[in-house]
Amino acid sequence: MSEPRLTEELEKMKGEYEPLLPIERKLIWFTFGAGVVLLAALVLISRAFI
Amino acid sequence: MSSASALAIEPRVEEKLPATESKPPLINEDWLAVCIGLFVFVLSLGLVFGADLLGWTITASVWTSPAKALGPTSKAYANLSPVFSLIGTYVFLLAVLSAGAKALRANLPRFAKGFTAVFAVSYACWILGNWAYIAATPDKRQALKIGWSLSLTNESGFIIALLAGLVVGNFSTRACEAIKEAIRPELYIKTAIVILGGFLGIAALEQRQLATSVMFLGGCAIVVAYLIFWPIVYFVARRYFGFSREWAAPLASGISICGVSAAIATGTAIKARPVVPIMVSSLVVIFAVVELMALPFAAQHFLYHQPLVAGAWMGLAVKTDGAAVASGAIADALIRAKALAATGIAYQAGWIMGVSTTVKVFIDVMIGVWAFVLAWVWSAKIERREGEKVRAGQIWERFPKFILGYVATFVLVLALGLAFPGLVTKIKAAMGQANVFRAIFFVMTFFAIGTLSNFRKLWQEGIAKLAAVYVLCLFGYIIWVGLLISWLFFHGVLPPVVKG
Repeated sequence: MSEPRLTEELEKMKGEYEPLLPIERKLIWFTFGAGVVLLAALVLISRAFI
Repeated sequence: MSSASALAIEPRVEEKLPATESKPPLINEDWLAVCIGLFVFVLSLGLVFGADLLGWTITASVWTSPAKALGPTSKAYANLSPVFSLIGTYVFLLAVLSAGAKALRANLPRFAKGFTAVFAVSYACWILGNWAYIAATPDKRQALKIGWSLSLTNESGFIIALLAGLVVGNFSTRACEAIKEAIRPELYIKTAIVILGGFLGIAALEQRQLATSVMFLGGCAIVVAYLIFWPIVYFVARRYFGFSREWAAPLASGISICGVSAAIATGTAIKARPVVPIMVSSLVVIFAVVELMALPFAAQHFLYHQPLVAGAWMGLAVKTDGAAVASGAIADALIRAKALAATGIAYQAGWIMGVSTTVKVFIDVMIGVWAFVLAWVWSAKIERREGEKVRAGQIWERFPKFILGYVATFVLVLALGLAFPGLVTKIKAAMGQANVFRAIFFVMTFFAIGTLSNFRKLWQEGIAKLAAVYVLCLFGYIIWVGLLISWLFFHGVLPPVVKG
C-alpha cells in the first residue's frame, strides 16, 4: 500500500482551506472556558482541603 | 523503513495495525504488558511467603571497579556469579517476552535476535550509567574514594541508552532494521508501569495521607489540562496554520494530551485516515525525546525545592507514556541529588516519579472519554452522519488496559500491607526485587525510543509545517501552562524525608 507523503498532504490543504465552523468555535471556547473555571474551582478546593 | 513502521503505535487501534503474520494477534500489547507485569509481580511476592524466586536476578550498583558493578539481587544468592546472574536474567526475559511475541504473532527468530541486541546494549548502558564518576552524588564520593563525579545518579543509564538508541536509529538503518521486531517501547514501558504499581503501593502504604492527596491533585490537574490545552492547540492549528479538521484534531490531541495514544484515538474518533495520526505520532515521538533530554534537567535546576511540582510537570508536559514516566524517573534522581547537595534535605526516592506516573495514568484514562466526546461532536455536529450513533462502549474500547495491571499491583500491595502490617517489611523487599525488572524495562524503553527517533526520515517527509505547530504550541504554551497547573496544585506538597 502506498502511503501519501506529508508534503503532498500539506499542499492539498493549501488549496482546500476549511474555515472554522461556528460549532468548532463553540467547542474551542466552551472547552477552554470550562477549563479555566474548573482550574479556579479545583485550586480553591484543593487549597481548602489538602 | 517508512515513518509509519518506525513508530511506537498503540495497540488500542488494532484495526489499523498490520500484524507481522496474517493471523490476528492473540492478545494486544496492553494486555500482554498486564500479563508480564503481573507475572513478575507474583513471582516477587514469593518472598513474602518464604520463597525467594527472583533473588538470582542481576542488579547493578554504583561502581569504581567493573568487577563490583554487578551482583545478584538477593543476599541469599550472594555466592552466585554475576555472570550467571546476568545470563539468567537475560534468558528469563527472553523466554517470557518470546512467549509474548508469539502471542502478538511477531516473527519469533527475528524477535529473539532483536531482543538479544536490545537487552545487551540497554544493560551495557545501564552498567555505564552506574559508573561512580557519572552516577555518584556528592555525599557518596568519600565512601567510593573519588574526588569528583557528575552526580547524575544511576538513572543516567537511561540517558545513555537513549543516546545509544538515537545513534542506531539515525546512523545505522541496517542495524535498526535487524532489531526492529524487538523495538517495542510501549510494551516495555507498560510492563514497567504495571510493576511500578506495587512499588508505589509501598510508598502509599507508608504515607497514606500524602498518597491520597497526590491522587486527588493529579486527577484535578488532568481534567484542567485537557480542557485548557486541547482547544488552544486546535485553534492555532486551524486558524493560523490552515490545517484541515482531519489534521488539526489528532494534532491537538497529540501535542496537548498524551502523544501517540491520544492522536490515534482522536483520529479514530473523527474517522481520519490512518495516515494522519501516524504522521502526527512520528512527530510526537521525536519531540518526546527532546523534552526527555531537557525538562528533567530544567526541573532539577529550578524546581528542586518543589519536587512534586516537577513530577506533575513531567507527567503533563512530556508526551508518550514512556518518555513521561522516564522523565519522572530522571527528575526524581536529579532533584533528590540537588536537594541533598543544596539544602541537605534527603527526600525519599520514588515520589517524584510516582507523581509523574499518577498524572500520566489519569491522562491515559481520560483519553477514551475525550475520544468519545470528540466522536460525538464530530458525528452529531460537525460531520453529521445520518443514522450513526456513538456507542458508550467506545470508552472501554479505548481504555488503556495496562492501567488495570497498574491498579491491581498498587491495590494488592496496599491491601496486603493494611491487612497484615507485620508483612510490610517483606512486601517492601519483594517489591524491591520486582523493581529490578522495572529498571530493566525502563532502560530498554529508552533505547527503543531513541531507535525510533529517525530525525532524518522525518525531515525528508517535509515535516516542517507540522513541526512548526508542534514547537509553537509545545514550547510556547503546553510546557508553561503545564508548569503553572502543576505549581497551582502541587506547590507546598513535599515528599517524605528519609529518616536518620
